[in-house]
Amino acid sequence: MMESNNMQDSVYYHYSPSYKYSLGIQQIKDKYFNSNYSYLRLTYLLNRRNTKNSQRNLYLQSGLSSDGLDHYFYGTHGDWETRRLYAGFGYKKTMMETLDYIEQYLQVGVAPYIGEYGDLHTWLMFKAKKNDLTSDWDTYPVLKFFKGNALVEFGYSDTSNWDIHLMYRF
Amino acid sequence: MKYLYLVFVMMAAVYTSAHNHTMHDMDSHNHEGHLHDTMVDGKLLEVDPKRFDDFVAELEGKQVAVVSVSGMVCDFCARGIEKTFSKDKSVLKLDVDLSGGKVLIAFDKDQIIDFEDIKKKILSNGQNATDLQIIKI
Repeated sequence: MMESNNMQDSVYYHYSPSYKYSLGIQQIKDKYFNSNYSYLRLTYLLNRRNTKNSQRNLYLQSGLSSDGLDHYFYGTHGDWETRRLYAGFGYKKTMMETLDYIEQYLQVGVAPYIGEYGDLHTWLMFKAKKNDLTSDWDTYPVLKFFKGNALVEFGYSDTSNWDIHLMYRF
Repeated sequence: MKYLYLVFVMMAAVYTSAHNHTMHDMDSHNHEGHLHDTMVDGKLLEVDPKRFDDFVAELEGKQVAVVSVSGMVCDFCARGIEKTFSKDKSVLKLDVDLSGGKVLIAFDKDQIIDFEDIKKKILSNGQNATDLQIIKI
Protein backbone atom coordinates (compact mmCIF):
# COMPACT_ATOMS: atom_id res chain seq x y z
CA MET A 1 0.00 0.00 0.00
CA MET A 2 1.32 3.48 -0.87
CA GLU A 3 0.01 6.76 0.45
CA SER A 4 0.97 10.32 -0.35
CA ASN A 5 -0.45 13.53 1.07
CA ASN A 6 0.70 16.94 2.28
CA MET A 7 2.09 15.45 5.53
CA GLN A 8 3.91 12.32 4.44
CA ASP A 9 4.68 9.72 1.80
CA SER A 10 4.59 6.12 2.91
CA VAL A 11 4.84 2.54 1.74
CA TYR A 12 3.13 -0.10 3.85
CA TYR A 13 3.69 -3.85 3.46
CA HIS A 14 1.44 -6.00 5.57
CA TYR A 15 0.51 -9.62 5.98
CA SER A 16 -2.73 -11.00 7.38
CA PRO A 17 -2.28 -14.42 9.02
CA SER A 18 -6.06 -14.36 9.53
CA TYR A 19 -8.83 -11.96 8.66
CA LYS A 20 -8.77 -10.84 12.31
CA TYR A 21 -5.44 -9.06 12.24
CA SER A 22 -2.53 -7.96 10.14
CA LEU A 23 1.11 -7.19 10.84
CA GLY A 24 3.22 -4.91 8.75
CA ILE A 25 6.01 -2.46 8.25
CA GLN A 26 5.31 1.10 7.14
CA GLN A 27 8.17 3.18 5.84
CA ILE A 28 7.52 6.90 6.11
CA LYS A 29 9.01 10.03 4.64
CA ASP A 30 7.65 12.64 7.03
CA LYS A 31 7.34 15.97 5.20
CA TYR A 32 6.17 17.95 8.21
CA PHE A 33 9.04 16.93 10.51
CA ASN A 34 11.44 16.40 7.63
CA SER A 35 12.48 12.94 8.81
CA ASN A 36 12.36 9.29 7.82
CA TYR A 37 11.31 6.43 10.04
CA SER A 38 9.37 3.15 10.06
CA TYR A 39 6.44 1.81 12.02
CA LEU A 40 5.92 -1.77 13.05
CA ARG A 41 2.14 -1.91 12.77
CA LEU A 42 -0.60 -4.12 14.14
CA THR A 43 -4.20 -3.84 12.99
CA TYR A 44 -6.88 -5.85 14.75
CA LEU A 45 -10.47 -6.41 13.62
CA LEU A 46 -12.47 -5.69 16.75
CA ASN A 47 -15.89 -6.25 15.25
CA ARG A 48 -17.38 -7.26 11.91
CA ARG A 49 -20.99 -7.69 10.96
CA ASN A 50 -21.80 -9.37 7.67
CA THR A 51 -25.28 -9.28 6.20
CA LYS A 52 -26.47 -10.31 2.76
CA ASN A 53 -26.12 -6.75 1.45
CA SER A 54 -23.64 -5.04 3.75
CA GLN A 55 -20.52 -5.33 5.81
CA ARG A 56 -19.54 -3.28 8.85
CA ASN A 57 -16.06 -3.25 10.36
CA LEU A 58 -14.38 -1.75 13.38
CA TYR A 59 -10.59 -1.95 13.68
CA LEU A 60 -7.99 -1.05 16.26
CA GLN A 61 -4.63 0.07 14.93
CA SER A 62 -1.28 0.68 16.53
CA GLY A 63 2.31 1.26 15.50
CA LEU A 64 5.69 1.47 17.14
CA SER A 65 8.30 3.67 15.51
CA SER A 66 11.87 2.79 14.67
CA ASP A 67 12.76 6.10 16.39
CA GLY A 68 12.22 4.55 19.81
CA LEU A 69 9.64 3.64 22.41
CA ASP A 70 8.49 7.23 22.89
CA HIS A 71 7.23 7.46 19.32
CA TYR A 72 4.13 5.39 18.59
CA PHE A 73 0.51 5.69 17.54
CA TYR A 74 -2.81 4.07 18.28
CA GLY A 75 -6.32 4.56 17.05
CA THR A 76 -9.39 3.11 15.50
CA HIS A 77 -11.03 3.10 12.11
CA GLY A 78 -14.23 1.65 10.81
CA ASP A 79 -16.44 1.40 7.80
CA TRP A 80 -19.85 0.29 6.63
CA GLU A 81 -20.55 -0.49 3.03
CA THR A 82 -23.05 -1.93 0.66
CA ARG A 83 -22.50 -2.34 -3.04
CA ARG A 84 -23.90 1.18 -3.49
CA LEU A 85 -22.98 3.15 -0.36
CA TYR A 86 -19.91 3.61 1.80
CA ALA A 87 -19.24 5.37 5.09
CA GLY A 88 -16.02 5.30 7.04
CA PHE A 89 -14.16 7.06 9.82
CA GLY A 90 -10.74 7.06 11.42
CA TYR A 91 -9.10 8.38 14.57
CA LYS A 92 -5.37 8.14 15.22
CA LYS A 93 -3.27 9.63 18.00
CA THR A 94 0.46 9.84 17.47
CA MET A 95 2.77 10.25 20.45
CA MET A 96 6.25 11.64 19.86
CA GLU A 97 9.04 12.69 22.17
CA THR A 98 8.31 16.37 21.72
CA LEU A 99 4.59 16.53 20.94
CA ASP A 100 1.41 14.53 20.38
CA TYR A 101 -1.15 15.04 17.63
CA ILE A 102 -4.44 13.60 16.45
CA GLU A 103 -5.60 12.80 12.92
CA GLN A 104 -9.28 12.21 12.17
CA TYR A 105 -11.29 11.61 9.04
CA LEU A 106 -14.80 10.92 7.86
CA GLN A 107 -15.52 9.56 4.41
CA VAL A 108 -18.74 8.86 2.54
CA GLY A 109 -19.24 7.55 -0.97
CA VAL A 110 -21.62 6.26 -3.56
CA ALA A 111 -21.01 3.87 -6.44
CA PRO A 112 -22.49 5.41 -9.61
CA TYR A 113 -22.98 1.94 -11.09
CA ILE A 114 -22.89 -1.59 -9.72
CA GLY A 115 -20.12 -3.55 -11.38
CA GLU A 116 -19.82 -7.30 -11.49
CA TYR A 117 -16.88 -9.36 -10.26
CA GLY A 118 -13.85 -8.50 -12.35
CA ASP A 119 -15.23 -5.20 -13.66
CA LEU A 120 -13.72 -1.80 -13.03
CA HIS A 121 -15.46 -0.46 -9.91
CA THR A 122 -15.82 3.26 -9.28
CA TRP A 123 -16.69 5.23 -6.16
CA LEU A 124 -17.48 8.93 -5.90
CA MET A 125 -16.60 10.06 -2.40
CA PHE A 126 -16.17 12.97 -0.06
CA LYS A 127 -13.56 12.96 2.66
CA ALA A 128 -13.24 15.34 5.57
CA LYS A 129 -10.02 15.17 7.56
CA LYS A 130 -8.37 17.08 10.34
CA ASN A 131 -4.81 17.02 11.55
CA ASP A 132 -3.95 18.91 14.74
CA LEU A 133 -0.64 19.97 13.24
CA THR A 134 -2.01 21.80 10.24
CA SER A 135 -5.52 23.15 10.07
CA ASP A 136 -9.20 22.76 10.71
CA TRP A 137 -11.35 20.24 8.93
CA ASP A 138 -10.56 19.96 5.26
CA THR A 139 -13.25 18.50 3.00
CA TYR A 140 -12.58 17.40 -0.55
CA PRO A 141 -13.78 15.02 -3.26
CA VAL A 142 -12.19 11.61 -3.71
CA LEU A 143 -12.35 9.22 -6.65
CA LYS A 144 -11.75 5.55 -5.96
CA PHE A 145 -11.27 2.86 -8.58
CA PHE A 146 -10.49 -0.80 -8.23
CA LYS A 147 -10.20 -3.72 -10.54
CA GLY A 148 -8.97 -7.17 -9.68
CA ASN A 149 -6.29 -6.89 -7.01
CA ALA A 150 -5.49 -3.23 -7.61
CA LEU A 151 -7.04 -0.17 -5.98
CA VAL A 152 -6.34 3.53 -6.51
CA GLU A 153 -7.82 6.48 -4.66
CA PHE A 154 -7.26 10.16 -5.50
CA GLY A 155 -8.38 13.15 -3.52
CA TYR A 156 -7.54 16.80 -3.97
CA SER A 157 -8.12 19.95 -1.95
CA ASP A 158 -6.74 23.48 -2.23
CA THR A 159 -5.60 23.28 1.39
CA SER A 160 -3.83 19.95 1.57
CA ASN A 161 -3.32 19.25 -2.15
CA TRP A 162 -3.18 15.64 -3.29
CA ASP A 163 -4.24 12.72 -1.12
CA ILE A 164 -3.31 9.54 -3.00
CA HIS A 165 -3.75 5.96 -1.94
CA LEU A 166 -2.60 2.95 -3.97
CA MET A 167 -3.05 -0.66 -2.93
CA TYR A 168 -2.28 -4.04 -4.44
CA ARG A 169 -3.27 -7.36 -2.94
CA PHE A 170 -0.81 -10.20 -3.54
CA MET B 1 -78.35 -14.90 -0.35
CA LYS B 2 -77.97 -14.06 -4.01
CA TYR B 3 -75.46 -11.33 -3.11
CA LEU B 4 -73.54 -13.71 -0.86
CA TYR B 5 -73.31 -16.19 -3.72
CA LEU B 6 -72.14 -13.42 -6.05
CA VAL B 7 -69.42 -12.32 -3.57
CA PHE B 8 -68.30 -15.94 -3.17
CA VAL B 9 -68.04 -16.41 -6.94
CA MET B 10 -66.07 -13.15 -7.31
CA MET B 11 -63.65 -14.12 -4.51
CA ALA B 12 -63.16 -17.54 -6.08
CA ALA B 13 -62.48 -15.91 -9.46
CA VAL B 14 -59.93 -13.51 -7.93
CA TYR B 15 -58.19 -16.37 -6.08
CA THR B 16 -58.10 -18.56 -9.20
CA SER B 17 -56.75 -15.70 -11.26
CA ALA B 18 -53.99 -14.96 -8.73
CA HIS B 19 -53.12 -18.64 -8.42
CA ASN B 20 -52.96 -19.10 -12.19
CA HIS B 21 -50.75 -16.01 -12.47
CA THR B 22 -48.34 -17.50 -9.94
CA MET B 23 -48.27 -20.80 -11.77
CA HIS B 24 -47.75 -18.99 -15.05
CA ASP B 25 -44.78 -17.09 -13.58
CA MET B 26 -43.18 -20.33 -12.48
CA ASP B 27 -43.87 -22.01 -15.82
CA SER B 28 -42.50 -19.07 -17.76
CA HIS B 29 -39.05 -19.69 -16.27
CA ASN B 30 -39.16 -23.40 -16.80
CA HIS B 31 -37.00 -23.64 -19.89
CA GLU B 32 -35.87 -27.16 -20.53
CA GLY B 33 -32.18 -27.61 -19.80
CA HIS B 34 -31.82 -24.47 -17.69
CA LEU B 35 -30.70 -25.74 -14.34
CA HIS B 36 -31.09 -22.41 -12.61
CA ASP B 37 -34.79 -23.24 -12.20
CA THR B 38 -33.96 -26.33 -10.19
CA MET B 39 -35.54 -26.88 -6.78
CA VAL B 40 -32.95 -28.00 -4.22
CA ASP B 41 -34.21 -29.35 -0.90
CA GLY B 42 -37.51 -27.61 -1.51
CA LYS B 43 -35.88 -24.25 -2.26
CA LEU B 44 -35.66 -22.63 -5.66
CA LEU B 45 -32.07 -22.13 -6.71
CA GLU B 46 -31.51 -18.38 -6.53
CA VAL B 47 -28.82 -17.58 -9.06
CA ASP B 48 -28.42 -15.21 -11.94
CA PRO B 49 -29.73 -17.37 -14.82
CA LYS B 50 -27.29 -16.26 -17.50
CA ARG B 51 -24.34 -16.33 -15.14
CA PHE B 52 -25.23 -19.82 -13.96
CA ASP B 53 -25.83 -21.17 -17.48
CA ASP B 54 -22.49 -19.74 -18.63
CA PHE B 55 -20.74 -21.25 -15.63
CA VAL B 56 -22.07 -24.77 -16.16
CA ALA B 57 -21.76 -24.72 -19.97
CA GLU B 58 -18.76 -27.07 -20.00
CA LEU B 59 -19.40 -28.91 -16.76
CA GLU B 60 -21.47 -31.84 -18.00
CA GLY B 61 -21.33 -34.68 -15.50
CA LYS B 62 -19.86 -32.48 -12.75
CA GLN B 63 -21.49 -30.97 -9.68
CA VAL B 64 -21.72 -27.36 -8.61
CA ALA B 65 -21.87 -26.05 -5.07
CA VAL B 66 -23.89 -22.85 -4.91
CA VAL B 67 -22.79 -21.14 -1.70
CA SER B 68 -24.71 -18.19 -0.24
CA VAL B 69 -22.28 -15.73 1.32
CA SER B 70 -23.03 -12.75 3.55
CA GLY B 71 -20.75 -9.73 3.72
CA MET B 72 -19.54 -10.18 0.15
CA VAL B 73 -20.22 -6.62 -0.94
CA CYS B 74 -16.94 -5.63 -2.53
CA ASP B 75 -14.99 -7.08 -5.46
CA PHE B 76 -11.67 -6.17 -3.88
CA CYS B 77 -12.63 -7.91 -0.63
CA ALA B 78 -13.95 -11.02 -2.39
CA ARG B 79 -10.65 -11.62 -4.22
CA GLY B 80 -9.40 -13.67 -1.28
CA ILE B 81 -12.24 -16.17 -1.74
CA GLU B 82 -11.06 -16.96 -5.25
CA LYS B 83 -7.46 -17.14 -4.02
CA THR B 84 -8.34 -19.51 -1.16
CA PHE B 85 -10.34 -21.94 -3.30
CA SER B 86 -7.77 -21.86 -6.10
CA LYS B 87 -5.43 -23.69 -3.71
CA ASP B 88 -7.94 -26.56 -3.41
CA LYS B 89 -7.11 -29.09 -6.14
CA SER B 90 -10.61 -30.57 -6.04
CA VAL B 91 -12.07 -27.27 -7.26
CA LEU B 92 -12.48 -27.32 -11.04
CA LYS B 93 -13.90 -23.84 -11.54
CA LEU B 94 -15.13 -20.95 -9.42
CA ASP B 95 -17.26 -17.87 -9.97
CA VAL B 96 -18.17 -15.03 -7.64
CA ASP B 97 -21.62 -13.49 -8.11
CA LEU B 98 -21.48 -10.26 -6.12
CA SER B 99 -25.03 -9.19 -7.00
CA GLY B 100 -26.53 -12.47 -5.88
CA GLY B 101 -24.20 -12.97 -2.94
CA LYS B 102 -23.24 -16.41 -4.28
CA VAL B 103 -20.04 -18.30 -4.91
CA LEU B 104 -20.30 -21.08 -7.49
CA ILE B 105 -17.77 -23.88 -7.10
CA ALA B 106 -17.51 -26.78 -9.54
CA PHE B 107 -16.32 -30.21 -8.39
CA ASP B 108 -16.04 -33.65 -9.96
CA LYS B 109 -19.21 -35.70 -9.64
CA ASP B 110 -17.67 -38.05 -7.04
CA GLN B 111 -16.17 -35.36 -4.87
CA ILE B 112 -17.66 -35.15 -1.39
CA ILE B 113 -18.61 -31.54 -0.77
CA ASP B 114 -18.04 -30.56 2.83
CA PHE B 115 -20.02 -27.46 3.79
CA GLU B 116 -18.01 -27.06 7.01
CA ASP B 117 -14.81 -26.89 4.99
CA ILE B 118 -16.38 -24.35 2.63
CA LYS B 119 -17.54 -22.30 5.62
CA LYS B 120 -14.00 -22.27 7.02
CA LYS B 121 -12.52 -21.17 3.71
CA ILE B 122 -15.06 -18.37 3.31
CA LEU B 123 -14.58 -17.28 6.93
CA SER B 124 -10.81 -17.19 6.48
CA ASN B 125 -11.51 -14.33 4.09
CA GLY B 126 -13.83 -12.61 6.57
CA GLN B 127 -17.22 -13.47 5.09
CA ASN B 128 -19.85 -15.99 6.23
CA ALA B 129 -21.19 -18.90 4.18
CA THR B 130 -24.84 -19.20 5.13
CA ASP B 131 -26.29 -21.82 2.80
CA LEU B 132 -25.23 -24.52 0.35
CA GLN B 133 -27.09 -26.03 -2.57
CA ILE B 134 -25.50 -28.79 -4.65
CA ILE B 135 -26.52 -29.20 -8.27
CA LYS B 136 -25.65 -32.21 -10.38
CA ILE B 137 -25.02 -31.04 -13.91
